[in-house]
Amino acid sequence: MTVVDAAPEARPEIGRDRRRKEDQRLITGRTRWTDNITLPGMLHLAMVRSPYAHAKILSIDVEAADKSLNIYEVFTGKDLGDSQGVNANAWPITPEQITPNHLPMPTDRVVFAGEIVAVVAARTAAEARDAAELVDVEYEVLPAVLDLKEAAEDKVLAHPDLGTNKSAFWQLDSAGQGTGRAIDEVIDEARADGIVIEREYRQQRLIPAFMEPRSVVVDPTGEQITMWSATQIPHIIRFLLAATTGVPESKIRVIAPDVGGGFGGKLQTTPEEWITWTVARRIGKPCKYTETRSESLVSAHHGRDQWQKLTLAATKEGRVTGLKVDLLADLGAYVGVVGGGVPVLGAWMFNSIYKWDAYQFNCTTLLTNKTWVDAYRGAGRPEATYAIERMMDELAAELGQDPLEVRERNWIKHEEFPFTTVAGMTYDSGNYEAATAKAKEMFGYDALRAEQKERRDRGDRVQLGIGISTFTEMCGLAPSRVLGSLNYGAGGWEHATVRMLPTGKVEVITGTSAHGQGHETAFSQIVADRLGVPFEDVEILHGDTQVSHKGLDTYGSRSLVVGGEALVLAADKVIEKAKPLAAHLLEANVDDLEFSNGRYSVRGTDQGMLISEVALATFAAHNYPEGMEPGIDAESTYDPVNFSFPHGTHLCAAEIDTETGQVKLRKYTCVDDIGNIINPLIVAGQVHGGLVQGIAQALWEEAVYDDSGTLVSGSFVDYLLPTAADTINFDIGHTTSPSTTNTLGTKGVGEAGTIASTPAVVNAIVDAVRHLGINDIQMPCTPERVWKAIHTSSPKGDATEAAAMPHFDESEPGQSSTEGAGA
Amino acid sequence: MDLEHSFTVPVGVETAWAEFQDIASVAECFPGATVSGVEGDTFNGSVKVKLGPIALVYNGSGTFTEKDEANHRFVVDAKGKDKRGNGTAGAKVTLTMDGQGDSTDVKVVTDLAITGKPAQFGRGVMQDVSDKLLGQFVACLEQRLDNSAEAAPAAAPTPAEPAPSAEPAEPAVAPQPATPASPPAQAATPAPARGSVDSLDLGKTVLPVLVKAYWKPVVVALVVIIVVIWLITR
Amino acid sequence: MIPAKFDYLAPTSVEDALRALAEHGDDAKILGGGQSLLPVLRMRLNAPELVIDLGRIDSLRGVREDGDALVIGAMTTHSEMITDELVREHALLLSKAAAEVADNQIRHRGTFGGSCAHADPAGDMGSAALAMDAEFVIAGPGGTRSVPAKEFFVDLFETAIGEDEILTEIRVPKKTGWGAHYEKFVRVAHQWPIVAVAATVNASGGTISEARVALTNMGSTPLRATATESALAGAAATEDGVRPAAEQAADGTNPPSDLNGDSDYRKHLATVLARRAVLKAAGE
Repeated sequence: MTVVDAAPEARPEIGRDRRRKEDQRLITGRTRWTDNITLPGMLHLAMVRSPYAHAKILSIDVEAADKSLNIYEVFTGKDLGDSQGVNANAWPITPEQITPNHLPMPTDRVVFAGEIVAVVAARTAAEARDAAELVDVEYEVLPAVLDLKEAAEDKVLAHPDLGTNKSAFWQLDSAGQGTGRAIDEVIDEARADGIVIEREYRQQRLIPAFMEPRSVVVDPTGEQITMWSATQIPHIIRFLLAATTGVPESKIRVIAPDVGGGFGGKLQTTPEEWITWTVARRIGKPCKYTETRSESLVSAHHGRDQWQKLTLAATKEGRVTGLKVDLLADLGAYVGVVGGGVPVLGAWMFNSIYKWDAYQFNCTTLLTNKTWVDAYRGAGRPEATYAIERMMDELAAELGQDPLEVRERNWIKHEEFPFTTVAGMTYDSGNYEAATAKAKEMFGYDALRAEQKERRDRGDRVQLGIGISTFTEMCGLAPSRVLGSLNYGAGGWEHATVRMLPTGKVEVITGTSAHGQGHETAFSQIVADRLGVPFEDVEILHGDTQVSHKGLDTYGSRSLVVGGEALVLAADKVIEKAKPLAAHLLEANVDDLEFSNGRYSVRGTDQGMLISEVALATFAAHNYPEGMEPGIDAESTYDPVNFSFPHGTHLCAAEIDTETGQVKLRKYTCVDDIGNIINPLIVAGQVHGGLVQGIAQALWEEAVYDDSGTLVSGSFVDYLLPTAADTINFDIGHTTSPSTTNTLGTKGVGEAGTIASTPAVVNAIVDAVRHLGINDIQMPCTPERVWKAIHTSSPKGDATEAAAMPHFDESEPGQSSTEGAGA
Repeated sequence: MDLEHSFTVPVGVETAWAEFQDIASVAECFPGATVSGVEGDTFNGSVKVKLGPIALVYNGSGTFTEKDEANHRFVVDAKGKDKRGNGTAGAKVTLTMDGQGDSTDVKVVTDLAITGKPAQFGRGVMQDVSDKLLGQFVACLEQRLDNSAEAAPAAAPTPAEPAPSAEPAEPAVAPQPATPASPPAQAATPAPARGSVDSLDLGKTVLPVLVKAYWKPVVVALVVIIVVIWLITR
Repeated sequence: MIPAKFDYLAPTSVEDALRALAEHGDDAKILGGGQSLLPVLRMRLNAPELVIDLGRIDSLRGVREDGDALVIGAMTTHSEMITDELVREHALLLSKAAAEVADNQIRHRGTFGGSCAHADPAGDMGSAALAMDAEFVIAGPGGTRSVPAKEFFVDLFETAIGEDEILTEIRVPKKTGWGAHYEKFVRVAHQWPIVAVAATVNASGGTISEARVALTNMGSTPLRATATESALAGAAATEDGVRPAAEQAADGTNPPSDLNGDSDYRKHLATVLARRAVLKAAGE
């Protein structure tokens, strides 16, 4: 037999900065976003939304709207009733969790401003919008609870029928689970003979603000009802549509076409999707709903929103011993699909990279009459990293020592991996020393510290601050059994199928659902290396439940770690499956066969054949061994054995203009260890984007409500998103400690930048003015807040008194959620 | 949001209090307001808010929820919905009068709640807009009280003189006074048309403001003044 | 969002535009560069029946000299103002302020006249025009009239332009050779100014003989910092020389409070920005 030696490039794909396959169609506008989809007879929907945060719906008069030109029909909550299904919470964090019933369109009471009360179906989007204005709703305004701390007092209830605003209480206690000592003992010891630092921090409410507004099209006319949605979770939506609306799962097809960013904000089952589904089924015609940006800001779920009380205990030499965390987390008006699970995901991360004797995490999730809150880039881990990295700086200030030294004294040493933390997580690998050393050098740490001192001594108008964030995070969601033990409603496995086409191309199906991550490129690189086929010959299919029938979608930095592993396992299965056929065709013994670079060769000879030739032979099936099926395609469902733990050291230099409070970033260096890197270009994109989002929380973004419960930061005029004009260049580096829990040794990078950067920036700001007696500035660190901290004796935005308090005095006035925001 | 305005007028507190018993007249002081119907202590109407690029029409109603004559305090609760479904506006106006002999100190506290799009217009501009509109509202109330100070001599017992003189005057100027006796709305228009230049000016400036807002007593009194002046200047 | 339906007219002369305006009264809205009107229409905070687009009226564009003044057509874009040689030579402050408006895309569409007519107190061009003692030429059914800047900006979103009138051009007395600077304070680049100061000075040999200083977003209209202006006469163009004058910049103002800063902070900012603006202008 002739052997065509196509000789794929010897250079491996993994590690190459391949330009993305996706970009051609995205940049030239050739792709079709959900809103571009047009079907015959399609109707457009417009939503009528409540202006009130909490009100009874007394009546809805749709007559004028119904009579409008080209209006098909108008529906209210009462019209659709239970046929709407519900927007469910898939992760009740405790069995006792109080979960309001979430009807997509309520029938008698609205619980947040922006909630949908009626939907108009019309021939064009403009006419639907015009008619929506004519729907006349009579409300009876009810008292609304808006402030998170007030919600905890249960004086005004977000859902009066539930009797309380407290949804759940969740605790992780090292003593309780046998991974450490009792926290109160350790704190008492420190009070007696060590150091105790108590601080309260505000994690302000953020809006994910993805670039593509959400859009959904439902076509009820086919054998399967098809929903296209700009979503991160097509598989989960399919499952929940079946579970809550009664349509058999096999009659449901969900497609996530190209999706323009999600960041956790599209990890949701939304009232808009469910209403479009119900209306389309009811009318029997395709229906489309695309939100406006104003609707997006007010109705797509928000992120973060916590009050954090932290107590850190340490010896007087500066070794940390105990950490106690008390969180109040705002869920908004409903519990989202992940809901309370988001703050809980931080439970294992407040202890971070440090070694503790005792640790306790307490979290109370609360309902308020505001937009619901759910996952947003980092989902629980940025909140945790912020808290601990701020506290480590406070400890350093208390000791009068360099904050990097204090961290190094306390972190897990390279030789100690794998290390089981006080929270019970086992970190597989890491090298904090190497990342930090590299970052320090790239940053010019010593020179900047010297400059800081000079400026301080001179009393310069512009002061310099250096902020540090040495972080780890847990991603690669997730080992299914662990999720089960946490009461999470689904598993954490991922699926992949590799199909060897007769002409030598490879089709890969993945259950992950990219929305900007570049999976098509990175996965092609992986498969190309594994199978020894050209990068261009690999096609990655995803996002359509009819094509990718099985998967758990994309969030939590899981696609590469879990999805990539499934890919590798499937590819390896293909190689194994093809061996007997290759041996047969080469007339050799299976045991004498070797596979490398896409070619099966007989050991000790120059005989061989390409895997693509085996694929063709399989297709022809003219000559294959007895007992073998003529097929070499293979699939794998991979359940990770552990989370993955990327880590990094981020250093930020910020200049503060003490005359105006303006903050200017001077330099930002990060060295992230994300295990083995598949595509450095994609990684750089993830890091840059993540950094900007994290920095934005530190300096610019905040969702603000007025006392009527109206979101006053309802447009980008007031919700400040930075652009390239506002950020500096970032210096990015990597060290590599491969993961020991997956074949490729990868750790995930999607959220790392966001998790690390916020405290790096805030630490820098506080560091710049600490010598003026300041130890905190509430986020976002607006110029006004910075200036007031510097120039007033009882600084606004300072969450606690300047000196460390021995106890959290319950009689201290609480801080309003919107303090300093001018609301 | 809470907005406060105060002013002082040169009338006694009882007169001032009497001015505001008519809910429609209170409502119409708000810039851009049109009252479409009154029923007891409640009015229905609309407010056209026009400021630069923004033009909104709120339809709604308002009621006297409190009328404390002894303490000269009233509260009007008004609620409106934007015609284009853009949100709602609610205002709870508490007006207190403090008599200082011949003058009265008036304090107006407005609890304003605006929801929906206008509240999200950006940079808190709606607060400035609301403050400005309320300022105009209060200025109108003040003007009304000032005018009642001018009109008071005509409306108080002393105008009984012009009133009786109106009667004798009527036969003498047969066509004109006959019209004042008929519905005031009609009386207002013919008088300026037929009066002298002076009375025309008076009518043009004062009447348009007052006719819409005031009801019978004051209009009649004013028309009487016009007639008297006309008579004098003839 | 999608605006409510409207009719559209693009007249080619001011007379035609005025006629349309007279016919439709307050059901019509004038469209300049659209950078302020279109967002309002899209958010449905207004729904005029007719939009009258001035974009096809050539007589409203362009910059020309007229003796000791420049005459700038109302429809001249910010972008044109930045590069126009006459503006740079005789009214540098206008060029500097135009360069700070929003972002490049907006500067290519937004107009000088439109920005002034919109009268957003946070608009950059209004205070620059006020600092330059500009005169606004307004055309109406009865002819044209000229309104000085001090009287043109009446209140929040309110100017001296009547309902049936159109701003056609702006006369700017020349300040040839004066230095100028527009100091804008923002948190993100594309934001409206939290506070801004427009300064133009006549300085030589390190001394300021005359100055004009105007404030953006310190009240319901652009404001002149007259105390500062007086105090700058004869001041040395140094930090210490300018500081005492700049410290008076917020005198008599009552700026609004919002998410970006309260009244006290803004007053403080005004003094700092005034100092910096004047120094940079003098250093030109």
